[in-house]
Amino acid sequence: MVFSTIPFLYYFLPIVLAVYFLVPNVLKNTVLLIASLVFYAWGEPRYVILMVATILLFYGCGLAIGKARKLRWRKFWLTISVVVSLSLLGIFKYADFFIGSFNKVTGLGVPLLKLALPVGISFYTFQCLSYTIDVYRGNAQPQKNLISFGAYVALFPQLIAGPIVRYVDVARELDSRKHSWDEIALGLRRFLVGLGKKVLIADSFALLIKLFRQSGEQSVVFYWMYAVAFMLNIYFDFSGYSDMAIGLGRVFGFHFIENFDYPYLSKSVREFWRRWHMSLGSWFRDYVYIPLGGNRVKTARWVFNTLTVWMLTGLWHGAAWNFVLWGLFFAVLLLVEKWVPALQRLPDLLRHGYVLLAVIISFVLFNAESVAQAGRDLANMFGFGGLPAITRETVYYLRSYGVLFVAGLIGATPLVRNTARRISKTRAGALLEPMVLIGLLVLCSAYLVDGSFSPFLYFRF
Amino acid sequence: MNQKIRRFGAGVLVALWAVLTGFAWFSPVKELSDAERRPLAQMPQFTGQSMLNGTFVKDFEKYTLDQFPLRDQFRQIKSLFHYYVLNQLDNNEIYIAEGHAAELEYPLNEASVNRALGQLQRVYEKYLKNSGSKIYTAVVPDKGYYIAEENGYLSMDYKRLFDMVRQGMPWAQHIDLTALLSAEDYYFTDTHWRQERLLKVAQRLSEQMDITPPQTEDFTVTELERPFYGVYYGQAALPMQPDTLCILENPLLKDCRVYNYVTEKYTQIYDMKKAEGKDLYEVYLSGAQSLLRIENPSASTDRELIVFRDSFGSSLTPLLVDDYKTVTLVDIRYINVELLGNYIDFHGQDVLFLYSTLVLNKNLI
Repeated sequence: MVFSTIPFLYYFLPIVLAVYFLVPNVLKNTVLLIASLVFYAWGEPRYVILMVATILLFYGCGLAIGKARKLRWRKFWLTISVVVSLSLLGIFKYADFFIGSFNKVTGLGVPLLKLALPVGISFYTFQCLSYTIDVYRGNAQPQKNLISFGAYVALFPQLIAGPIVRYVDVARELDSRKHSWDEIALGLRRFLVGLGKKVLIADSFALLIKLFRQSGEQSVVFYWMYAVAFMLNIYFDFSGYSDMAIGLGRVFGFHFIENFDYPYLSKSVREFWRRWHMSLGSWFRDYVYIPLGGNRVKTARWVFNTLTVWMLTGLWHGAAWNFVLWGLFFAVLLLVEKWVPALQRLPDLLRHGYVLLAVIISFVLFNAESVAQAGRDLANMFGFGGLPAITRETVYYLRSYGVLFVAGLIGATPLVRNTARRISKTRAGALLEPMVLIGLLVLCSAYLVDGSFSPFLYFRF
Repeated sequence: MNQKIRRFGAGVLVALWAVLTGFAWFSPVKELSDAERRPLAQMPQFTGQSMLNGTFVKDFEKYTLDQFPLRDQFRQIKSLFHYYVLNQLDNNEIYIAEGHAAELEYPLNEASVNRALGQLQRVYEKYLKNSGSKIYTAVVPDKGYYIAEENGYLSMDYKRLFDMVRQGMPWAQHIDLTALLSAEDYYFTDTHWRQERLLKVAQRLSEQMDITPPQTEDFTVTELERPFYGVYYGQAALPMQPDTLCILENPLLKDCRVYNYVTEKYTQIYDMKKAEGKDLYEVYLSGAQSLLRIENPSASTDRELIVFRDSFGSSLTPLLVDDYKTVTLVDIRYINVELLGNYIDFHGQDVLFLYSTLVLNKNLI
């Protein structure tokens, strides 16, 4: 199930909220667990078994690590949890990628598994891994209550598209959390803002991208429009989802970490990754990069660590070579930034421009169906594809989407948030806020009723 | 104080959400959408199988979208925001220009045109090649031809389409209608042309086909009482005035009988039962029908006409029947070309192929 659908907004969520707030505190996690499994089963009932198996595996391993006195046994149970979960991830997400690549290199015809990707498997696997690793490191106590642990893993607000919530960050709230009308109101506000970002902006850009792909009159300018549209599409889609997840979490008494901090304002790629999908970046930093030695090693080893982490980051996003290249592209930029400190001394405008250009190019690579298509797309963007500079179709869509582009570019900066904050401090602002939120609910519902189903981009990860 | 206002506002938001939820759950289920002229999805049956294979989920989502309370009003809100706030030029490929709602007919689908021409070639080869018939063809431009480009909307390459038809049907005499028509000859809310403004078209066709051209004084114009909400009215979901639909009547047309080969029943040229239905345009020759024969007892000659046509032909053909003893209307979208010989004896009748650019370009033939 996805948040931006009528069944979620007007069927699932109202029932869950009503039951959740009616039952006593002791049953709230049970309600959340059942609701989360129903949420997950909606559309993919078979993979609930995989989800339950993952919960049981990590619950058991967590307890075993906590109970084991000897390091050897702690390591053993940690290894079990890591190997089994990564194997499942490997089988369901990466097997066909590796088999396909192997077949291409060797010319053999090893049959593909053709398994459907379980929704959100990358997210919940990484959450679970953070749990056993933190218990092993002594940073977290093992969760003794299976229901509470299940609720953590399956928690529907962030189950399928993050943020990647670490167990230590919500451990206390899993056992005891407070609910208040103010928190619920703040949560709903955040949820509706996210819904608006997804439905009104991201999905509109998604339509333009679809029209671009279908176009028989492409041009250089149309390619750039596509590239910027995708850059805005993925930002509003993913950050919108994160807003909804954080908002819903707050309604249920959880405080999830932030996942985006206006990444397109960055003046370096390093800064971009501190602002983009922050929960994933910090996960790789804490559970891969630092264990590999981080940057406190010799240069060659540091380069290896960087390339490894970013190749894995790329692979996490998708089982295809263009994702690997996407990750490595950022690795190279990060290395260059480290080795050429003069870059940091460039005027801010140039630094912003460089980051935006790098990000646009990276997302063209990211969104391509293959490396070959990415190559063609980039060649066309830079005028090497023999396309005309502009066509009447390009002009039409430029006119039609002009306001949306302006809205998207402004919305990707803190301008709207800061203005809203300033206004909301006044009495008129306090009156205006609920009206805006009601308007958002009505408008998003109107778009959903009029439109067709549009899945979130980050589902495939 | 601000905090109190905010809490109250949040309460209003939750209450509104709850009310909409209540309506979504308990509103009476509707069968049809008047605006979109289609059946609405109904609550699917829940079975283990349908849940496992995902059909229940898919169908339930369709059901919730189709049965959402105040659905048409919500769609209108979306359209208004889309057009007037986001300033987008079209909404679901429907645009408004010169007061007309029209669909973006873009780009030219050459494969579709070639497919249609292939079908018409089959008709020619199988039934007309050796029949001695005089064959005519006319392409009806959709209203986008007159309003799209000059208002900055995308439109297909009409010239290329007309050239393709001309080259694809070398065995027919081509009659160009483009210069005779303008945007005013089409309904504001519908794809079709207005019968009361088609005399010039009928006259041009009549001159080319060597029959008596109809004159204005031959007809009385009758306006239907009910407003006509065309197909784009629902799709645009914008506040628009409905059209009025007129029929051109005279005693000769009143005497004509229309035989429907499917129902094996006779009706009139203007099927007034359809004036009570969803689509008033169906008044003309009962709407979409595969095979009809108009019998004209007052015909001034024994000549016969066969019209291969789409829905544009329904309103035009009554203006061509004067001289013909019978006019057979064939819609090969609804009848297999191979079966035509079972119903029609092709023996040298006049033949007119009358197709709109919409049908040629949309893989409909």
